[in-house]
Amino acid sequence: MRLELRGITKRFGTFTANHQIDLVVEPGQIHCLLGENGAGKSTLMNVIFGLLQSDEGEMLIDGVVTRFANSGEAVRRGIGMVHQHFMLVPVFSVAENVVLGFEPTKSFNRLDHQRAREEIRSVSQTFNLEVDPDAIVEELPVGLQQRVEILKALSHDAELLILDEPTAVLTPQEIDALMAIMRSLAASGKSILFITHKLKEVKAIADVITVIRQGEVVGTAQASDSEAELASMMVGRSVSLTVDKAALTPGEEVLAITDLVVRDDRGLPAVNGVSLSVRAGEIVALAGVQGNGQTELVEAIAGMRPVESGTISVRGVDITNHTPRQVLDAGVGHVPEDRQLHGLVLSMSVADNLVLNTPRRAPFARRGSRNLAAVNENAQSLVQRFDIRTTSTQALVSSLSGGNQQKVIVARELSRPLSLFVASQPTRGLDVGSIEYVHRQIVNQRDEGLGVLIVSSELDEVLALGDRIAVMHAGRISGVVAPTTSRETIGLLMAGAGATDA
Amino acid sequence: MSLDVTNETATTARIPVGRTRGIGVIMLAIGLFTALVFGVGSGFSAHSSLTFNPVSLTNAPWRIGTLTLLTAWTNVVLGLAIVAMGAHVALRLPRRGVMARFGVVAVLFFFALLLWAARTTGPSQINFVNLTAVLIGSSALAMVLVFGSLSGVMCERAGVVNIAIEGQFIGGAFVGSMVASTTHDFFFAAIVGALVGGLVGLVLAFLSLRYLSDQIIVGVVLVTMLGSLSSYLNLQVLTPFPQYNTGNLAPNLPIPLLSKLPVLGPVFFDQTGFFYLMIVLVALVSFGLFKTRWGLRVRAVGEHPQAAASVGIKVVGVRYANVIMGGAIAGVGGVAFMASQGQFQPGYTSGLGYIALAALIFGRWRPSGAVVASVLFGLSVYLADNLQTYQVPMPTEILGMFPYVITIAVVSGLIGRVRPPAADGLPYRRD
Repeated sequence: MRLELRGITKRFGTFTANHQIDLVVEPGQIHCLLGENGAGKSTLMNVIFGLLQSDEGEMLIDGVVTRFANSGEAVRRGIGMVHQHFMLVPVFSVAENVVLGFEPTKSFNRLDHQRAREEIRSVSQTFNLEVDPDAIVEELPVGLQQRVEILKALSHDAELLILDEPTAVLTPQEIDALMAIMRSLAASGKSILFITHKLKEVKAIADVITVIRQGEVVGTAQASDSEAELASMMVGRSVSLTVDKAALTPGEEVLAITDLVVRDDRGLPAVNGVSLSVRAGEIVALAGVQGNGQTELVEAIAGMRPVESGTISVRGVDITNHTPRQVLDAGVGHVPEDRQLHGLVLSMSVADNLVLNTPRRAPFARRGSRNLAAVNENAQSLVQRFDIRTTSTQALVSSLSGGNQQKVIVARELSRPLSLFVASQPTRGLDVGSIEYVHRQIVNQRDEGLGVLIVSSELDEVLALGDRIAVMHAGRISGVVAPTTSRETIGLLMAGAGATDA
Repeated sequence: MSLDVTNETATTARIPVGRTRGIGVIMLAIGLFTALVFGVGSGFSAHSSLTFNPVSLTNAPWRIGTLTLLTAWTNVVLGLAIVAMGAHVALRLPRRGVMARFGVVAVLFFFALLLWAARTTGPSQINFVNLTAVLIGSSALAMVLVFGSLSGVMCERAGVVNIAIEGQFIGGAFVGSMVASTTHDFFFAAIVGALVGGLVGLVLAFLSLRYLSDQIIVGVVLVTMLGSLSSYLNLQVLTPFPQYNTGNLAPNLPIPLLSKLPVLGPVFFDQTGFFYLMIVLVALVSFGLFKTRWGLRVRAVGEHPQAAASVGIKVVGVRYANVIMGGAIAGVGGVAFMASQGQFQPGYTSGLGYIALAALIFGRWRPSGAVVASVLFGLSVYLADNLQTYQVPMPTEILGMFPYVITIAVVSGLIGRVRPPAADGLPYRRD
């Protein structure tokens, strides 16, 4: 399928999300749409997919001007979309999800499960995407769920496949598998529109790259262009992709974890005998495929999850099973994994969110009443110092972009004297510009003598930031290695093989 | 039913061991209570008599005589049976069917309670429990609850919480009585009741789908409004013109031969048309939801409306249709209730709509489960209303709490683990 967009403009009130976008996707081509978060990529995709209607411009499919009133029409016209948040019903089987909206039926409108299964098997075989049609979707790993999404699009005879940030939730191995699938689909003549802000992936797979910034196409690029060139096009200024760090001068031990056992929500041991130490002035990066106990480990440190056995101490003070309040008072700053759930109160202002960890302390409150002037003053200075882009300190924090929300959390946590800084997935979902900024802040803190513990499922980030890299697998530390270690070795440790010490 | 089974295992697999053990311990406690209080506590000379007479004796060729049991020993045996089931759950921790076992325990407990309440100390027989009458009486209540919880299944499977069932009962009962009194035809009454219930459903759907209002608040408002409106109209219309509220019991339509079976016959095969309609509806909704294309789409809308919309399913349309159909079912339920009471009286649904919601939850949002829960709750409501005839030395209101206590236990995850449709009660915004 050949898709052509001519001058697509989409406005929300006074805000122009897409301005005069031109784009051509040729059959059998992998076309990358590269842009920062909030650049208008998702809006554009929703326009193509019929979820939104453009205000100006036209869309041509195989040379014919087309307009979709809803996504059902787009699907029927051969456009498939793999959404960032899967459009799958978790309690349905794979087969039921794939046929939903296009169900084969027998008499009395009954579902024909047999035919549904056969359809899926035949599509699976054609494109070499193996999935059990009777498996319940929520019981499948994320990578397989995504495969079901792709299968769903293909079973509706999609000729153009839109993939919206498909790698955000995948492990490195799953990303490789996805890339292989994309290549084979393109080879069979399908057009692919791949949306991302990750430069490595773009370079690995794109035939054509269109860069979009603030709702406008700023140009096209080649996969052979350097990452720095792509990044500066995307952000609109030159960005440094490497993290500069001074030499390591570790001090005393600030975090000591011994034989920690923590259970997950289902009552199973998620952290199973972990010992780890972080010294002042060093960054320890905790690597590992998501779901291997990192989340529970950090929650235990932050006092958000009970410790079964073992101890956690900060600068020699035991904080095992202390409340979050006590942990904060012990000098721990914490950037939680889910910033909207645990990091911010979305319905409160930027200024209030910036004092969430010290709301009852002078100067922000005295004898039980708040000192709003001090809260505001604090907000003004932090907004300036951390370059938080907001219309005002009184704006709701929910109105900020993801990157700026993360800056609010980082600013708040770093605005008081700390011994230890713990950050979980500090740059997840952030664009290149914000990542650079957050990384610089973390390194600054380390240079000023803080102990830093980073948890990240992004190998690049782990390698760039860590002075030591601890790899977690199945609730245990499978190895602690130096950042000069090869990706392959770390990958093996992530899969649970062997153990070494740095 | 392969579909049901897989869903079932997915849900029950998450029940932690400790919780299952807790249920077992609760069952053990109920068993001991039954054996000691209802058994040993009733004295070993006491005996209870059960009769099985249908209401009209003329039409019953086969009859069972009176069964006289030694109260103490029977209840000790019942108690020990419950203890055994509790012990099995607590020690063997079965992964499935815990709620079903709990239902059986509850029925045995009620039976023991009945024997205890009707016991006679001394040689002369004074008290009887007519078991057939108990079953017929509770079947009428259970039927109304089934209508209500089916209505809930229709609405909530599509993602809209229908708290207004009580209001739909009231509306259906009110107009049902007027139509039945003037036309003497319960078929018309049912149709008009369905229209009124559907209209209430339409208001609920309109406010919650168009204006994205909180569905629970809208539902409660509707119940309150219909309650007051019916009182007002009762005073203004039915009191001055009693010919519109004459009191009609729906005629029984006995099924030939089957209706003559002892005990079972009068309970299942000598009922009003509403009872048979309920059975047909349960089968239809169950088949529709879990076997057809329509059902798959409804459930998709209730679980993940965005996913449904992305393949071209009209989420809002499906929700409107289901909430209106659900309202119509509850409206017929109101007429059925009126037809079993004979007349409209303000406030006489007294929370049945909420008990139906409880049955919906206990029945895990399934028509079949709703039937089981309705039978259990119908029995407890009937006993709460009728036990005083036996001069039971306990406040029967305690029994009236049963459906709610069970619902709290279920919702808090104490008994089993239920999972409502994921998008239940959440407003859906396109885009």
